[in-house]
Amino acid sequence: MNNKYIFGGIIIVIFFGIMGFLLTQTNIKYEENFVELTKSDATIKATGSWVKEKNYEIDRENNIFSFYMKDFNGKEIKVIYNGAVPNNFESSTSVVVTGKYKEGNFYASDILTKCPSKYENEYEAAKKTS
Amino acid sequence: MVGNILITFALLASVFSITMYYFTYKGYDNALKLARAAYHATSISIIGASAYLMYAILNHQYEFKYVYDYSNSDLSVGMLMSTFWAGQQGSFLLWLLLTALSGLALLEYTSKRGNLESRVMMVFTLAVTFLLIMVSPGLKNPFTLIWSDPTYIDLKNISQSFMSLPFINDFLFTDQSSGASLVLINEKLAGLLASNGISINDFIQFGKGLNPLLNNFWMQIHPPILFVGFAMSTVPFSFAFAALISNDYKDWVTSSLPWLLGGMMVLGLAIMLGGYWAYVILGWGGYWGWDPVENSSLVPWIVGVAGIHTMLIQKRTQTKEHAGRFVKTNLILSILTYLLVLYSTFLTRSGILGDASVHSFVSPGMVTYALLLIFISTFTILGFGAIIYRWKYLEKTFTSEENILSRELALFVGAVLLLGSAAIIIAGTSMPIFGSAVEISFYNEMILPIAILLGILNGLSLLINWKKTSEKTLIDNLKIPLFVTFILTVVAVVWGGFNDIMAIIFMFSALFSMVINTKTIYKIVKNNISYIGGYVAHLGFAFFMLGVIGTGWFTTEKQVELIQGETKSALGYDFTFTGYTPVDNGKKYKFNVNVVKDGSENTLSPVMYVSDFNQSLMRDPDLLNLITKDLYLSPVSYEDAKEASGGEHNHQTTLIKGEPFEFHGSNITFTKFNFPQDAMNSMQSGADFFIGAVIEILHDGKTYTIEPKMKSSSGVKTFEDAVVEGTNLKIELKNLDASGKIEVVINELSKTDEPTKEVQVAKGASLWVDISVKPFINLIWVGTLTIVLGFFISMVRRTKEAK
Repeated sequence: MNNKYIFGGIIIVIFFGIMGFLLTQTNIKYEENFVELTKSDATIKATGSWVKEKNYEIDRENNIFSFYMKDFNGKEIKVIYNGAVPNNFESSTSVVVTGKYKEGNFYASDILTKCPSKYENEYEAAKKTS
Repeated sequence: MVGNILITFALLASVFSITMYYFTYKGYDNALKLARAAYHATSISIIGASAYLMYAILNHQYEFKYVYDYSNSDLSVGMLMSTFWAGQQGSFLLWLLLTALSGLALLEYTSKRGNLESRVMMVFTLAVTFLLIMVSPGLKNPFTLIWSDPTYIDLKNISQSFMSLPFINDFLFTDQSSGASLVLINEKLAGLLASNGISINDFIQFGKGLNPLLNNFWMQIHPPILFVGFAMSTVPFSFAFAALISNDYKDWVTSSLPWLLGGMMVLGLAIMLGGYWAYVILGWGGYWGWDPVENSSLVPWIVGVAGIHTMLIQKRTQTKEHAGRFVKTNLILSILTYLLVLYSTFLTRSGILGDASVHSFVSPGMVTYALLLIFISTFTILGFGAIIYRWKYLEKTFTSEENILSRELALFVGAVLLLGSAAIIIAGTSMPIFGSAVEISFYNEMILPIAILLGILNGLSLLINWKKTSEKTLIDNLKIPLFVTFILTVVAVVWGGFNDIMAIIFMFSALFSMVINTKTIYKIVKNNISYIGGYVAHLGFAFFMLGVIGTGWFTTEKQVELIQGETKSALGYDFTFTGYTPVDNGKKYKFNVNVVKDGSENTLSPVMYVSDFNQSLMRDPDLLNLITKDLYLSPVSYEDAKEASGGEHNHQTTLIKGEPFEFHGSNITFTKFNFPQDAMNSMQSGADFFIGAVIEILHDGKTYTIEPKMKSSSGVKTFEDAVVEGTNLKIELKNLDASGKIEVVINELSKTDEPTKEVQVAKGASLWVDISVKPFINLIWVGTLTIVLGFFISMVRRTKEAK
């Protein structure tokens, strides 16, 4: 066996080793069940929908935007975000918030809003006849 | 009808063309003419179908669901044209169109070079066929008629003049959740309209319109350029495959290289334009967010660029009888580049990234999903199958030589580093497939060391000669550039106040690459300008890295409230909000901010508006380009002037029955309405009455109860305030909602036991903005454009060589 293959092999192993390690370190799980969410203190991407009946609040003094979000079971959680209301928020059908759960609140570092109309039209999906 | 006939015809013709090319390859020379004619017929039909869709869009033919879904009659002609690629269907058609056009050029190119044509066009046309299947009727077809699937459309999009038709009422519905009036468009209605001599294009007056995020100039140029890059990436795959078929690995590199250079030039430009779009319009604040969709088009670019480097080695090491070095690598990378383009398409269009990316498509449905998978699998099996089939021969014939200190080795290591970064990005980007994601830090931490090595290697490789260099020559060549780089780094580090060791090393690496490339360009530009392409591209990369240092380590940002007429200082600038002006017929508002620094005055006007399209607040940033830095202003919110404000700390909120609200350590709960029977009777008889809202306050371990009332006197409603005795809180009732909610303003009074100290100061209109200063961000754009220029110069040179 040639030296250069051994050398190359070691480098590749180290490279993928570091990559694999960092992948697990920076991994963010998606969570749709908020009961599970409250059990963890890791960074999580929580997916759910904004509870429209409960208005969102904007605290301008502290630059905090907060709202209630519910999962598919209807379990609600308060989301606190340091920043402005995201674009498209009002018309979003689902929200993905990235952050951590701490003492009853979910502190988000990022909010992603998904709109049915964004690229594809799903109006029909929610159609109702009278 | 016309559109689908053209698509179907093109599909049949493309299959015929592949078959005829296959026969040509098998030696039936008279099949070649048929193959060419069939390919031309395919292309012409695709051009015709595209022209037809464009015609339908420009003439607002809302009978096509695609036209109705993405365009609207009020769009300007330029924007209207760009709705062609606003959705899945149209963007597939655009990709198909550009692939077909590239194919015409490729056919011309290969027909002049030996017997390449049949082998290359055979596999290229297969890619066209797959895209044709994608836009076929029943799949992502842009010519689907709006009534073919029953569709509810908003009443306001229907021409009112047809509302009196007797049968219309059977098709009217109300959406119970939103209260919107809808019209059911189905086959029956279409039939009734037709029998009354009414065209559905007249019946539907407006389309849904274009998403405001897409409604700008960049939408007109970014997607077409990206798809030219995607289309051209098909070519190196075809060449590699053709080489594998004929088991001849010498000439294909020369023929393929200009195409790969061209494709990567265009793809690189497109990626940069996407970053610029995100920066100037979408207000993401930066040029790159490691968003999975952005990443997925970057990966094929990086792999393609790695391929360019190893292909150069093969060309350089070719002799009359030997095909050169890195034959296997080049085959693999050429195939991989296109496969990654397909993988990128799969990620963005399959709906997998739905929760992970800001701008991915929603799920396209099972059939399309499956077809995308079949598309990728077919090309993977073709490409890698052919390599595996030839592997024994390849392994035996092209064993690599010893790696000695040479430019070949340096280029190869560079390619390996590029592939390493591609592996990192694709690993992070693919995580959503497994239901998770990675933090941005993953990319930054992994890529930074690679970028540093790339910069150093980039400089070093130019000091090493082809074939073999003695260590002594290298050290001699290294002395002066190393010294210059060292001085420059020290100057930059001191002047910029660097405090991060990684930033300093990165700076050194970027400057080292810049110094050596500048020196090399200076040396050879006089002799032969067509040879500087590679160095220009590398110089651009060095500029880009410097831009990354400036923006990545030295960006400063702050969120401030600007009150109209008052000057506020932040980040070294004086800002004055002077008011807003309506633009676009009052649909949008420009918020004018005066910026002063050292006596020079500018006005920045970020825009905010509520979009008709999605009833959402949209924000467009504005920036001031100061050559060495950008001042970036992103609007957050706006509040009109207030006549007078309440207490010192107040907070307006909605309390919901039974749900505690936390305010500065106190728990405030609205428990119930106090609405006695006699008050209810009074209300019903129209007499004066009141309703109390019982609120419990948990403060410092004690519970207090208050009951501010709403009083109705002669039909006029007034609301009471209530001071919570024993605390510093005052609660003003603002509104009641029978569903169990009240609106209140909670005041925190000053602690000096003084009663309500109302601050009766009028507050001017206020604008909240995110301000940031991004040093040397222009180097990002200058750098990328320089890279593109370098690619262009190289492409011209390699095209001449391929003659």
